[in-house]
Amino acid sequence: MTTLTARPRANFATRMGIDAPIFTGLALFIALTAIPLIAAFLIDTREFLHAPVWQKPLQFHLALSTFFITLAFFARFLPTPMTTRRWRIYAGVVCFCVLAELVWVSGAAAFGTASHFNINSPVMAALYGLMGLFAVVLTSPSLAMGIAIARNKNTGLSPALHLSIALGLILTFILTLIAAGTMSSGTSHLIGTPVTHESLPILGWSREVGDLRTAHFFATHALHALPFVGLIAARALSPTTARATVWVSAAAYCALVAFAMVQAFQGQPFL
Amino acid sequence: MSPEALFQIANPIALMGWLALIAAPLAPRLIDLITALIIPLLLAVAYTALIFAHWSGATGGYSSLPDVMALFTNPHIALAGWVHYLAFDLFIGAWAIRTARTERIPHMLVLPHLALIFLFGPAGFLTFHAMRLVFRLSAPKTGVSA
Repeated sequence: MTTLTARPRANFATRMGIDAPIFTGLALFIALTAIPLIAAFLIDTREFLHAPVWQKPLQFHLALSTFFITLAFFARFLPTPMTTRRWRIYAGVVCFCVLAELVWVSGAAAFGTASHFNINSPVMAALYGLMGLFAVVLTSPSLAMGIAIARNKNTGLSPALHLSIALGLILTFILTLIAAGTMSSGTSHLIGTPVTHESLPILGWSREVGDLRTAHFFATHALHALPFVGLIAARALSPTTARATVWVSAAAYCALVAFAMVQAFQGQPFL
Repeated sequence: MSPEALFQIANPIALMGWLALIAAPLAPRLIDLITALIIPLLLAVAYTALIFAHWSGATGGYSSLPDVMALFTNPHIALAGWVHYLAFDLFIGAWAIRTARTERIPHMLVLPHLALIFLFGPAGFLTFHAMRLVFRLSAPKTGVSA
Protein backbone atom coordinates (compact mmCIF):
# COMPACT_ATOMS: atom_id res chain seq x y z
CA MET A 1 0.00 0.00 0.00
CA THR A 2 2.79 2.39 0.86
CA THR A 3 5.20 1.22 -1.81
CA LEU A 4 5.49 4.68 -3.29
CA THR A 5 6.46 6.45 -0.09
CA ALA A 6 8.59 3.51 1.00
CA ARG A 7 10.85 3.80 -2.02
CA PRO A 8 14.24 5.23 -1.13
CA ARG A 9 15.08 8.77 -2.08
CA ALA A 10 17.73 8.81 -4.75
CA ASN A 11 19.17 11.06 -7.38
CA PHE A 12 17.89 11.22 -10.95
CA ALA A 13 19.93 8.36 -12.43
CA THR A 14 19.88 6.07 -9.40
CA ARG A 15 16.12 6.47 -9.16
CA MET A 16 15.66 5.05 -12.66
CA GLY A 17 17.97 2.18 -11.77
CA ILE A 18 15.78 1.38 -8.76
CA ASP A 19 12.41 1.71 -10.52
CA ALA A 20 13.34 0.01 -13.79
CA PRO A 21 16.77 -1.59 -13.53
CA ILE A 22 16.49 -3.63 -16.72
CA PHE A 23 15.29 -0.78 -18.94
CA THR A 24 17.85 1.62 -17.43
CA GLY A 25 20.63 -0.87 -18.04
CA LEU A 26 19.37 -1.53 -21.56
CA ALA A 27 19.29 2.19 -22.41
CA LEU A 28 22.81 2.65 -21.09
CA PHE A 29 24.12 -0.40 -22.94
CA ILE A 30 22.56 0.73 -26.22
CA ALA A 31 24.07 4.19 -25.78
CA LEU A 32 27.55 2.80 -25.04
CA THR A 33 27.51 0.36 -27.94
CA ALA A 34 26.85 3.31 -30.26
CA ILE A 35 30.50 4.34 -29.75
CA PRO A 36 32.01 1.79 -32.20
CA LEU A 37 29.14 2.59 -34.58
CA ILE A 38 30.17 6.25 -34.55
CA ALA A 39 33.74 5.15 -35.30
CA ALA A 40 32.47 2.96 -38.17
CA PHE A 41 30.38 5.90 -39.42
CA LEU A 42 33.57 7.99 -39.54
CA ILE A 43 35.75 5.51 -41.44
CA ASP A 44 33.19 3.77 -43.69
CA THR A 45 32.61 5.54 -47.00
CA ARG A 46 29.88 3.21 -48.25
CA GLU A 47 26.35 4.45 -48.84
CA PHE A 48 23.03 2.67 -48.95
CA LEU A 49 19.98 4.40 -50.46
CA HIS A 50 22.00 7.62 -50.63
CA ALA A 51 22.79 7.70 -46.90
CA PRO A 52 25.96 6.54 -45.09
CA VAL A 53 25.46 2.87 -44.20
CA TRP A 54 25.95 3.47 -40.45
CA GLN A 55 23.43 6.28 -40.21
CA LYS A 56 20.50 3.95 -39.67
CA PRO A 57 22.12 1.83 -36.91
CA LEU A 58 23.10 5.04 -35.13
CA GLN A 59 19.55 6.36 -35.41
CA PHE A 60 18.23 3.09 -33.99
CA HIS A 61 20.65 3.17 -31.05
CA LEU A 62 19.78 6.81 -30.33
CA ALA A 63 16.02 6.23 -30.69
CA LEU A 64 15.83 3.04 -28.62
CA SER A 65 18.11 4.42 -25.93
CA THR A 66 15.87 7.48 -25.65
CA PHE A 67 12.74 5.32 -25.61
CA PHE A 68 13.92 3.06 -22.79
CA ILE A 69 15.45 5.79 -20.66
CA THR A 70 12.08 7.56 -20.93
CA LEU A 71 10.22 4.41 -19.88
CA ALA A 72 12.67 4.00 -16.97
CA PHE A 73 11.95 7.57 -15.92
CA PHE A 74 8.16 7.07 -16.00
CA ALA A 75 8.52 3.78 -14.09
CA ARG A 76 8.49 5.82 -10.86
CA PHE A 77 4.76 6.35 -11.37
CA LEU A 78 3.97 2.64 -11.48
CA PRO A 79 2.28 1.11 -8.43
CA THR A 80 5.35 -1.07 -7.86
CA PRO A 81 8.92 -0.88 -9.23
CA MET A 82 9.54 -3.02 -12.31
CA THR A 83 11.36 -5.56 -10.19
CA THR A 84 8.50 -7.98 -9.61
CA ARG A 85 8.90 -11.37 -11.25
CA ARG A 86 6.34 -10.65 -13.99
CA TRP A 87 7.90 -7.32 -14.94
CA ARG A 88 11.39 -8.84 -14.99
CA ILE A 89 10.37 -11.67 -17.33
CA TYR A 90 8.53 -9.21 -19.57
CA ALA A 91 11.47 -6.77 -19.56
CA GLY A 92 13.84 -9.63 -20.38
CA VAL A 93 11.77 -10.58 -23.44
CA VAL A 94 11.68 -6.92 -24.50
CA CYS A 95 15.48 -6.66 -24.10
CA PHE A 96 15.96 -9.69 -26.30
CA CYS A 97 13.77 -8.16 -29.02
CA VAL A 98 15.61 -4.83 -28.83
CA LEU A 99 19.05 -6.41 -29.07
CA ALA A 100 17.95 -8.71 -31.91
CA GLU A 101 16.58 -5.69 -33.77
CA LEU A 102 19.84 -3.74 -33.32
CA VAL A 103 22.03 -6.67 -34.38
CA TRP A 104 19.83 -7.13 -37.45
CA VAL A 105 20.04 -3.44 -38.44
CA SER A 106 23.81 -3.24 -37.83
CA GLY A 107 24.40 -6.59 -39.53
CA ALA A 108 22.59 -5.40 -42.65
CA ALA A 109 24.61 -2.16 -42.54
CA ALA A 110 27.87 -4.11 -42.28
CA PHE A 111 26.92 -5.97 -45.45
CA GLY A 112 25.74 -2.78 -47.12
CA THR A 113 22.26 -4.14 -47.62
CA ALA A 114 18.71 -3.40 -46.48
CA SER A 115 17.30 -4.55 -43.17
CA HIS A 116 13.69 -3.36 -43.47
CA PHE A 117 11.91 -4.16 -46.75
CA ASN A 118 14.60 -6.73 -47.60
CA ILE A 119 12.89 -9.72 -49.23
CA ASN A 120 15.76 -10.52 -51.62
CA SER A 121 16.52 -13.85 -49.96
CA PRO A 122 14.32 -16.23 -47.96
CA VAL A 123 16.46 -15.67 -44.86
CA MET A 124 16.29 -11.88 -45.02
CA ALA A 125 12.57 -11.98 -45.79
CA ALA A 126 11.93 -14.26 -42.81
CA LEU A 127 14.07 -12.02 -40.60
CA TYR A 128 12.15 -8.94 -41.73
CA GLY A 129 8.87 -10.56 -40.74
CA LEU A 130 10.23 -11.71 -37.39
CA MET A 131 11.67 -8.26 -36.68
CA GLY A 132 8.26 -6.74 -37.32
CA LEU A 133 6.90 -8.93 -34.53
CA PHE A 134 9.85 -8.03 -32.30
CA ALA A 135 9.22 -4.34 -32.99
CA VAL A 136 5.65 -4.69 -31.68
CA VAL A 137 6.93 -6.50 -28.56
CA LEU A 138 9.56 -3.86 -27.85
CA THR A 139 7.02 -1.03 -28.20
CA SER A 140 4.45 -2.80 -26.01
CA PRO A 141 5.88 -1.81 -22.58
CA SER A 142 4.72 1.69 -23.44
CA LEU A 143 1.13 0.40 -23.50
CA ALA A 144 1.53 -1.81 -20.43
CA MET A 145 3.10 1.01 -18.42
CA GLY A 146 0.53 3.54 -19.68
CA ILE A 147 -2.34 1.37 -18.46
CA ALA A 148 -0.64 0.59 -15.13
CA ILE A 149 0.10 4.28 -14.52
CA ALA A 150 -3.45 5.29 -15.55
CA ARG A 151 -4.82 2.88 -12.93
CA ASN A 152 -2.39 3.93 -10.21
CA LYS A 153 -4.12 6.29 -7.77
CA ASN A 154 -0.97 6.99 -5.75
CA THR A 155 1.31 8.61 -8.29
CA GLY A 156 1.42 11.89 -6.37
CA LEU A 157 0.93 13.69 -9.69
CA SER A 158 -1.54 16.42 -10.49
CA PRO A 159 -4.52 14.98 -12.43
CA ALA A 160 -3.57 16.67 -15.72
CA LEU A 161 0.05 15.51 -15.63
CA HIS A 162 -1.03 12.02 -14.58
CA LEU A 163 -3.44 11.87 -17.51
CA SER A 164 -0.87 13.23 -19.97
CA ILE A 165 1.77 10.65 -19.01
CA ALA A 166 -0.68 7.74 -19.23
CA LEU A 167 -2.13 9.00 -22.51
CA GLY A 168 1.32 9.70 -23.97
CA LEU A 169 2.49 6.17 -23.19
CA ILE A 170 -0.66 4.49 -24.49
CA LEU A 171 -0.80 6.63 -27.64
CA THR A 172 2.88 5.97 -28.34
CA PHE A 173 2.04 2.29 -28.70
CA ILE A 174 -1.19 2.72 -30.67
CA LEU A 175 0.04 5.43 -33.03
CA THR A 176 3.40 3.71 -33.60
CA LEU A 177 1.62 0.46 -34.39
CA ILE A 178 -0.51 2.27 -36.98
CA ALA A 179 2.27 4.40 -38.48
CA ALA A 180 4.99 1.75 -38.54
CA GLY A 181 2.55 -1.03 -39.47
CA THR A 182 1.30 0.95 -42.45
CA MET A 183 4.86 1.75 -43.49
CA SER A 184 5.96 -1.88 -43.32
CA SER A 185 3.00 -3.04 -45.43
CA GLY A 186 4.52 -1.16 -48.38
CA THR A 187 7.83 -1.68 -50.13
CA SER A 188 9.68 1.48 -49.03
CA HIS A 189 9.44 4.28 -46.50
CA LEU A 190 9.35 6.72 -49.41
CA ILE A 191 6.29 7.57 -51.49
CA GLY A 192 7.53 8.86 -54.83
CA THR A 193 10.81 8.71 -56.72
CA PRO A 194 13.51 10.99 -55.33
CA VAL A 195 15.93 12.65 -57.73
CA THR A 196 18.26 14.81 -55.65
CA HIS A 197 17.87 12.67 -52.47
CA GLU A 198 17.90 15.83 -50.37
CA SER A 199 17.08 14.94 -46.77
CA LEU A 200 16.96 16.46 -43.31
CA PRO A 201 20.12 16.05 -41.21
CA ILE A 202 20.05 13.36 -38.48
CA LEU A 203 16.36 12.55 -39.05
CA GLY A 204 17.04 11.65 -42.68
CA TRP A 205 13.49 12.45 -43.88
CA SER A 206 13.21 13.16 -47.58
CA ARG A 207 12.72 16.81 -48.51
CA GLU A 208 11.56 15.84 -51.98
CA VAL A 209 8.96 13.09 -51.72
CA GLY A 210 6.62 11.58 -49.12
CA ASP A 211 8.41 9.92 -46.19
CA LEU A 212 6.39 7.68 -43.87
CA ARG A 213 9.11 7.82 -41.21
CA THR A 214 7.88 11.29 -40.23
CA ALA A 215 4.59 9.87 -38.96
CA HIS A 216 6.45 7.07 -37.15
CA PHE A 217 8.67 9.67 -35.45
CA PHE A 218 5.74 11.76 -34.21
CA ALA A 219 3.77 8.65 -33.21
CA THR A 220 6.62 7.31 -31.08
CA HIS A 221 7.32 10.69 -29.46
CA ALA A 222 3.79 10.97 -28.04
CA LEU A 223 5.30 9.85 -24.71
CA HIS A 224 7.42 13.02 -24.72
CA ALA A 225 5.05 15.50 -26.32
CA LEU A 226 1.92 14.86 -24.22
CA PRO A 227 3.59 14.82 -20.79
CA PHE A 228 5.29 18.07 -21.81
CA VAL A 229 1.86 19.60 -22.51
CA GLY A 230 0.56 18.11 -19.25
CA LEU A 231 3.44 19.59 -17.27
CA ILE A 232 2.82 23.09 -18.57
CA ALA A 233 -1.00 22.84 -18.40
CA ALA A 234 -0.91 21.59 -14.80
CA ARG A 235 1.16 24.57 -13.75
CA ALA A 236 -0.58 27.27 -15.76
CA LEU A 237 -4.24 26.28 -15.73
CA SER A 238 -6.98 25.25 -13.31
CA PRO A 239 -7.26 21.45 -12.80
CA THR A 240 -10.39 21.12 -14.95
CA THR A 241 -9.05 23.26 -17.79
CA ALA A 242 -5.68 21.52 -17.59
CA ARG A 243 -7.27 18.08 -18.00
CA ALA A 244 -9.37 19.32 -20.90
CA THR A 245 -6.24 20.81 -22.48
CA VAL A 246 -4.49 17.45 -22.24
CA TRP A 247 -7.42 15.66 -23.90
CA VAL A 248 -7.58 18.23 -26.70
CA SER A 249 -3.80 18.07 -27.17
CA ALA A 250 -3.95 14.27 -27.38
CA ALA A 251 -6.59 14.56 -30.11
CA ALA A 252 -4.54 17.21 -31.90
CA TYR A 253 -1.45 15.03 -31.65
CA CYS A 254 -3.31 12.09 -33.23
CA ALA A 255 -4.38 14.50 -35.97
CA LEU A 256 -0.74 15.53 -36.48
CA VAL A 257 0.28 11.90 -36.96
CA ALA A 258 -2.65 11.35 -39.32
CA PHE A 259 -1.70 14.50 -41.22
CA ALA A 260 1.93 13.36 -41.54
CA MET A 261 0.73 10.01 -42.91
CA VAL A 262 -1.73 11.51 -45.41
CA GLN A 263 0.86 14.05 -46.53
CA ALA A 264 3.44 11.31 -47.07
CA PHE A 265 0.98 9.19 -49.04
CA GLN A 266 0.36 12.21 -51.25
CA GLY A 267 4.07 12.19 -51.99
CA GLN A 268 4.72 15.46 -50.17
CA PRO A 269 7.70 15.98 -47.85
CA PHE A 270 6.94 17.20 -44.33
CA LEU A 271 9.53 20.00 -44.53
CA MET B 1 40.47 7.38 -43.45
CA SER B 2 43.16 5.27 -45.12
CA PRO B 3 44.44 2.15 -43.33
CA GLU B 4 47.96 3.65 -43.39
CA ALA B 5 46.76 6.78 -41.58
CA LEU B 6 44.96 4.71 -38.93
CA PHE B 7 48.07 2.57 -38.50
CA GLN B 8 50.12 5.73 -37.91
CA ILE B 9 47.72 6.71 -35.11
CA ALA B 10 47.24 3.30 -33.49
CA ASN B 11 50.94 2.44 -33.17
CA PRO B 12 52.04 5.44 -31.06
CA ILE B 13 48.99 5.07 -28.82
CA ALA B 14 49.97 1.49 -28.01
CA LEU B 15 53.61 2.50 -27.63
CA MET B 16 52.67 5.11 -25.04
CA GLY B 17 50.96 2.33 -23.11
CA TRP B 18 54.12 0.22 -23.13
CA LEU B 19 56.27 3.16 -21.98
CA ALA B 20 53.78 3.76 -19.18
CA LEU B 21 54.02 0.09 -18.15
CA ILE B 22 57.80 0.40 -17.78
CA ALA B 23 57.17 3.29 -15.39
CA ALA B 24 54.30 1.49 -13.63
CA PRO B 25 55.76 1.62 -10.08
CA LEU B 26 55.58 5.44 -10.20
CA ALA B 27 51.76 5.51 -10.38
CA PRO B 28 50.49 1.90 -10.27
CA ARG B 29 46.76 2.54 -10.23
CA LEU B 30 46.71 5.28 -12.87
CA ILE B 31 48.99 3.36 -15.22
CA ASP B 32 46.97 0.19 -14.73
CA LEU B 33 43.82 2.12 -15.65
CA ILE B 34 45.47 3.51 -18.79
CA THR B 35 47.15 0.32 -19.99
CA ALA B 36 44.62 -2.31 -18.99
CA LEU B 37 41.48 -0.37 -19.79
CA ILE B 38 41.62 2.99 -21.58
CA ILE B 39 44.08 2.22 -24.39
CA PRO B 40 42.75 -1.33 -25.05
CA LEU B 41 39.20 0.09 -25.17
CA LEU B 42 40.25 2.80 -27.62
CA LEU B 43 41.90 0.19 -29.81
CA ALA B 44 38.84 -2.04 -29.46
CA VAL B 45 36.64 0.76 -30.81
CA ALA B 46 38.97 1.13 -33.80
CA TYR B 47 39.02 -2.65 -34.34
CA THR B 48 35.24 -2.96 -34.15
CA ALA B 49 34.75 -0.06 -36.55
CA LEU B 50 37.20 -1.62 -39.03
CA ILE B 51 35.38 -4.95 -38.88
CA PHE B 52 31.98 -3.24 -39.23
CA ALA B 53 33.19 -1.30 -42.24
CA HIS B 54 35.30 -3.88 -44.06
CA TRP B 55 34.43 -7.44 -43.04
CA SER B 56 31.73 -7.87 -45.68
CA GLY B 57 34.11 -6.69 -48.42
CA ALA B 58 36.90 -9.11 -47.47
CA THR B 59 37.54 -12.50 -48.99
CA GLY B 60 38.63 -15.51 -46.94
CA GLY B 61 37.62 -16.57 -43.44
CA TYR B 62 38.72 -18.43 -40.33
CA SER B 63 38.30 -22.03 -41.42
CA SER B 64 41.59 -22.78 -43.22
CA LEU B 65 45.07 -21.29 -43.37
CA PRO B 66 44.66 -20.12 -47.00
CA ASP B 67 41.35 -18.50 -45.94
CA VAL B 68 43.05 -16.66 -43.09
CA MET B 69 45.86 -15.60 -45.41
CA ALA B 70 43.33 -14.35 -47.94
CA LEU B 71 41.69 -12.32 -45.21
CA PHE B 72 44.95 -10.50 -44.51
CA THR B 73 45.42 -9.52 -48.15
CA ASN B 74 42.78 -6.88 -47.46
CA PRO B 75 44.68 -3.90 -45.96
CA HIS B 76 41.74 -2.87 -43.74
CA ILE B 77 41.43 -6.36 -42.29
CA ALA B 78 45.22 -6.65 -41.91
CA LEU B 79 45.11 -3.36 -39.99
CA ALA B 80 42.26 -4.70 -37.84
CA GLY B 81 44.39 -7.77 -37.11
CA TRP B 82 47.31 -5.54 -36.15
CA VAL B 83 45.10 -3.41 -33.87
CA HIS B 84 43.90 -6.66 -32.30
CA TYR B 85 47.56 -7.52 -31.49
CA LEU B 86 48.20 -4.04 -30.12
CA ALA B 87 45.13 -4.10 -27.88
CA PHE B 88 45.48 -7.60 -26.47
CA ASP B 89 49.28 -7.61 -26.11
CA LEU B 90 49.14 -4.40 -24.09
CA PHE B 91 46.32 -5.84 -21.99
CA ILE B 92 48.46 -8.90 -21.23
CA GLY B 93 51.44 -6.65 -20.49
CA ALA B 94 49.36 -4.71 -17.98
CA TRP B 95 48.13 -7.98 -16.47
CA ALA B 96 51.75 -9.19 -16.04
CA ILE B 97 52.72 -5.96 -14.26
CA ARG B 98 49.64 -6.19 -12.01
CA THR B 99 50.21 -9.88 -11.25
CA ALA B 100 53.88 -9.30 -10.46
CA ARG B 101 52.92 -6.55 -8.03
CA THR B 102 50.44 -8.66 -6.11
CA GLU B 103 52.85 -11.61 -6.06
CA ARG B 104 55.76 -9.41 -4.98
CA ILE B 105 57.90 -10.17 -8.00
CA PRO B 106 60.39 -7.26 -8.44
CA HIS B 107 59.43 -4.89 -11.24
CA MET B 108 62.93 -5.03 -12.76
CA LEU B 109 62.53 -8.80 -13.26
CA VAL B 110 59.26 -8.34 -15.15
CA LEU B 111 60.74 -5.88 -17.65
CA PRO B 112 62.45 -8.50 -19.88
CA HIS B 113 59.19 -10.44 -20.06
CA LEU B 114 57.37 -7.19 -20.82
CA ALA B 115 59.73 -6.63 -23.76
CA LEU B 116 58.98 -10.15 -24.99
CA ILE B 117 55.23 -9.67 -24.67
CA PHE B 118 55.60 -6.38 -26.56
CA LEU B 119 57.51 -7.98 -29.44
CA PHE B 120 56.29 -11.59 -29.48
CA GLY B 121 53.17 -11.64 -27.26
CA PRO B 122 52.70 -15.32 -26.37
CA ALA B 123 56.46 -15.92 -25.97
CA GLY B 124 56.61 -13.31 -23.20
CA PHE B 125 53.41 -14.70 -21.67
CA LEU B 126 55.15 -18.08 -21.54
CA THR B 127 58.39 -16.84 -19.94
CA PHE B 128 56.49 -14.69 -17.43
CA HIS B 129 54.54 -17.76 -16.31
CA ALA B 130 57.78 -19.72 -16.04
CA MET B 131 59.14 -17.03 -13.73
CA ARG B 132 55.93 -16.97 -11.66
CA LEU B 133 56.27 -20.71 -11.13
CA VAL B 134 59.88 -20.33 -10.01
CA PHE B 135 58.86 -17.65 -7.51
CA ARG B 136 56.03 -19.77 -6.18
CA LEU B 137 58.22 -22.85 -5.72
CA SER B 138 60.99 -20.90 -4.02
CA ALA B 139 58.68 -18.98 -1.68
CA PRO B 140 59.22 -19.76 2.01
CA LYS B 141 56.72 -22.38 3.12
CA THR B 142 56.83 -21.62 6.84
CA GLY B 143 56.23 -18.56 8.94
CA VAL B 144 53.69 -15.80 8.71
CA SER B 145 53.48 -14.18 5.33
CA ALA B 146 54.59 -10.57 5.35
